[in-house]
Amino acid sequence: MTRAPNAVDFWRGFALITIFIDHIPGLVYASYTLANFSIADAADLFVFLAGWSLRLMAEGRGEKRPIRDVMLRLFGRALELYAAQVLITMLAIAVLAVSATELDNPLLLQWHNAAAVFSDPVPTHIGLVLLTHQLGYFDILPLYVVLMLMAPFFALIDRVAPALLVPVSLAIYVCVLAFRLTLPTWPVAGTWFFNPLAWQTVFVLGFACADPGRGIGAFARRNIKWLRIVGVPIVIAGLLIHLFDLWPDPTKVPNPKLFFIADKTFDTPMRLIQFLSLVAVFSFAWPYIRKAAGAPVWGRGVEALIGFLAMLGRNSLYVFCIGSLLSLSAQVVRLYYRGSVGSDTAVVLIGIVIMAFTAWLAESRQRGRPAPASPAPRSSSR
Amino acid sequence: MSKACAPGTAALNGEQPLPNVAAALAAGRTLRILSIGAAPGRIGRHGGTYTAQIEAMLHAALKVTRIEIVNRGVSGELAAAAAVRMRNEVALEEPDLVLWQVGTNDALAYVSAEDFAQTVRDQVAWLKAHKVDVVLVGLQFAPQMLRDAHYVKLRDTLRAVAAEEHVIVVRFFEAVEILNRGDDAAMPAADEFERSEAGYNCLSQYVARAITLGVFARHLPHRPPTPPTAAPKPQ
Repeated sequence: MTRAPNAVDFWRGFALITIFIDHIPGLVYASYTLANFSIADAADLFVFLAGWSLRLMAEGRGEKRPIRDVMLRLFGRALELYAAQVLITMLAIAVLAVSATELDNPLLLQWHNAAAVFSDPVPTHIGLVLLTHQLGYFDILPLYVVLMLMAPFFALIDRVAPALLVPVSLAIYVCVLAFRLTLPTWPVAGTWFFNPLAWQTVFVLGFACADPGRGIGAFARRNIKWLRIVGVPIVIAGLLIHLFDLWPDPTKVPNPKLFFIADKTFDTPMRLIQFLSLVAVFSFAWPYIRKAAGAPVWGRGVEALIGFLAMLGRNSLYVFCIGSLLSLSAQVVRLYYRGSVGSDTAVVLIGIVIMAFTAWLAESRQRGRPAPASPAPRSSSR
Repeated sequence: MSKACAPGTAALNGEQPLPNVAAALAAGRTLRILSIGAAPGRIGRHGGTYTAQIEAMLHAALKVTRIEIVNRGVSGELAAAAAVRMRNEVALEEPDLVLWQVGTNDALAYVSAEDFAQTVRDQVAWLKAHKVDVVLVGLQFAPQMLRDAHYVKLRDTLRAVAAEEHVIVVRFFEAVEILNRGDDAAMPAADEFERSEAGYNCLSQYVARAITLGVFARHLPHRPPTPPTAAPKPQ
């Protein structure tokens, strides 16, 4: 039996569909996703909710799990994510190879950082296994793997000295921004697109916010009205910056510049603060969305949407993996059909149907089993 | 310039000055180059990245010891996204020159030529305003793309924008096309990888040549831009 729809699964489903669309460059519908109206985008939401779910993994339902079990569980999850990354990377390489052959277009062999895979496979395959060589748009899972490898450390701090959890994370973040610390890529020299040392902050904030009883999770719940009052102008400012191209000139800001510019790789404060404002402002929405499901006319549609997105969210790893491959395949389809509105509509609809089928298939294995632990009690309170 | 790559120089545009690179060299400063776009993801079968090859050639050509090329390519990225990211990278890395391989992803994603031109034009203007030189590297070559009207249109649009803005564009597509014509006669057995790798090896040389000429072209009178040739009709 699967768990009932809840806010975390619902918003994670939303993030998964948004990431699928965002990862098809040039797609007509990509102009209407969160990234076009906000400094932060669905990647921030995905990582924040991953941190939120970490709370459930670390604490379980009812009594707290022994810390040794937590460590093993988190390490096991990191291995699972790593295996998924290796698998979808290999499938993506195959998609590119087949497409290049069938469309008689060798440029596809050089797409999305795949050139080195084909031109110099010996070091590049080592890089793929080490996660130091990542295909374009296949760079979120490597981030997630590293975050999950860091998770036991944060879970341990949370267990033995919870007051230090957020300060330690922020201290790492400040050092990373001040000294521009990052992870290198190899064999092609460069840096990770998603810097895990910076992105751990939004992950840990998700972990901390998921705790309703103490720390910033309790603070946020007690002061949510004030946080929304502060957050609304920040969300509006993010919107205006996008709509009227009001980005500050990054060369004019003081040093260390990463503290003052909007940068995705380092998930800089401008982006992080705007994202947290979005969370505060839109946290009011879930109770109303649930309420709308009971409306007489369009309630069924809302209920279906909740169930649909929550189903995607409950099976986020499978859906994310298939979504990544679908985004790549959609790019090939767009290339073949020359990016028309019709082909764009078709790839989005077919992609979402396949993502839903993947989630349904994953859940069909679970039917008849007892219901797993649900994050609903914590999340629904927000 | 190697003998194998020499024929491709016929497709490269004339010298445009690179005053900020020249100033850095004259002041004895480390020459800082920011590489952004698709090509940095490429490495040769025998090792050696595209940027490492350029660096080695510039050392030899310009007789300077301190050159630093920072690779910030993100594969699959459209010009509009690269332009936003490039501004941050310019602020952080403070380069004298940006090496921007642009157009291939936009062409494959069917970005309109007007939007593409505006993005490149705005970005070049921004770089000039911030005293950073730019060398544009044009679209990648595949013989099949000659039949793609949109691909050819973006190739020519880039050339037109570069001429209009008086910046160097290394016309990679045309250069490799010339090389391949030579290959057809001399090496009919060359496969796509060999052709492609040969093309990238030559690209490093073309870029190094363009930068070198740009440095020494700083005192040249400004030339009127050469009008772009008409796009070949799609077959």
